[in-house]
Amino acid sequence: MLENKVNSTHSKSTGLPRKRFYRARAHSNPLSDSHFPVPVAPSHVDYSLHYPQLFPSSDEAGSCKKIQFADIGCGFGGLLISLSTLFPDTLMIGMELRDKVTEYVKERILALRVTNPGQYQNISVVRTNSMKYIPNYFEKAQLSKMFFLFPDPHFKEKNHRRRVISPFLLDEYAYALEVGGIIYTITDVEELGDWMKACLENHPMFEALTSEEVEADPVTKLLSSATEEGQKVDRNGGQTFRAIYRRIAPSL
Amino acid sequence: MYVKIDLFEQNNYSTLWFFDSGGCAVYLVENSGGSLHKDSIRAIRYRASGKLFVSAGDDKLVKIWSTESWRCISTICSEKRVTSVAISNDGSYVCFADKFGVVDVDVEGFDGNQVFADKKAAPMLSHYCSIITSLEFSPDGRFFISAYRDFKIRVNVFPKKPLDGAHEIQSFALGHTEFVSCLAFVCTQEFPQGFLVSGSGDSTVRLWDISSGSLLDTCDIREKAGPLEFKGIEEECCAAVTDLCTIPDSTLVAVAVQR
Repeated sequence: MLENKVNSTHSKSTGLPRKRFYRARAHSNPLSDSHFPVPVAPSHVDYSLHYPQLFPSSDEAGSCKKIQFADIGCGFGGLLISLSTLFPDTLMIGMELRDKVTEYVKERILALRVTNPGQYQNISVVRTNSMKYIPNYFEKAQLSKMFFLFPDPHFKEKNHRRRVISPFLLDEYAYALEVGGIIYTITDVEELGDWMKACLENHPMFEALTSEEVEADPVTKLLSSATEEGQKVDRNGGQTFRAIYRRIAPSL
Repeated sequence: MYVKIDLFEQNNYSTLWFFDSGGCAVYLVENSGGSLHKDSIRAIRYRASGKLFVSAGDDKLVKIWSTESWRCISTICSEKRVTSVAISNDGSYVCFADKFGVVDVDVEGFDGNQVFADKKAAPMLSHYCSIITSLEFSPDGRFFISAYRDFKIRVNVFPKKPLDGAHEIQSFALGHTEFVSCLAFVCTQEFPQGFLVSGSGDSTVRLWDISSGSLLDTCDIREKAGPLEFKGIEEECCAAVTDLCTIPDSTLVAVAVQR
């Protein structure tokens, strides 16, 4: 199917989609009503659509494997692709608001699955608004890792409520994460880095990882190296600000 | 004294009327230095003891009235227009929600005859960008439920210190396919913790277990009401559930439907 494409949205040599045909604005309004389908409840998420090799039919109700990693605002998919081979038995999903970018990631995953048989079957992407619909996709304490890499800073104070990390949205992320689950955030904007760290620090259901734990985690270095944004920051010699926290049970 | 409440709107002023069991109207007196509600009243709620009630609406004010003196004893300012109000079972907290999804909480502690100055409340929880249509406390007071325009119902653990925020979400009750308009609890002797009943624009009334968020039953209003009620209207009409009412210690639920 891919080799029959007449227009060259995909590169002929690697089969991967070419970014220039999937250009999109960097910003999207997260508060507007959705025009895309949203599952009514987590039980309605069609795993056979996202992971066809692992879930051959959509009638497979008894399968106990569920999505455990979520990349919120996955952009062009760099992190998911790096994580896929690092954790081959874990199901992961990327959530992205922009439709062209989601299309790009879908095509990229499909192409990788063709060129690397057996691999990349555990990652997928969905176009959705994670500020509104996280409870629709994930059951309570389903996730073990959540990623928020280089989120939109929304500099103006009146737009601060559009930030993806906020004291109130952390309640929902804490709901989706299991106790002991980890939330990873990174940004190159210092003010946003301070904001995210302050939100997490003040939230009763999150505690900071120690620096030893951060260094020992194999995922940590992927935060700045695996994504297109991270590589751009690195190329320009910019600084990054990380906040990595663990979900804890609230003290009574 | 049995009291029935009606709401009237005239000339942009909203008035609350109370009728006692003899059918005589009782007028409300505004005494806290402010004025009566200036815009549509969206929500009213009695405290469990019946001694106080709260009204709130589009004028961004939450007013607390004493039912003994029929005076307004406190006014709280909200930042946005208020869409619903709830009072905790022990009467010590008043929660109100606005159209941006923020629920604020204010402490009550007075006995109905004192007059308090205007005060602000603290935000307790928020679900961004979705109008909260209904607020309820669970019968045992452990949980606090909010219903949204974007089809969701959220069950929060009501914290010991609500002014610090309600961060722990117990469950989401998901299943409605249209806005959720109203919530109520059905409690009987055998099930004192009660079941949550919700009505929605998708013409269903659903029954939920709140600690797990699981859907126990769905009732399609159009089936129950039957073709007779729709008097010859052939096409599929959207019958939204607009309100629910339950009776204490009974399994009956009254449903208001808008055609």
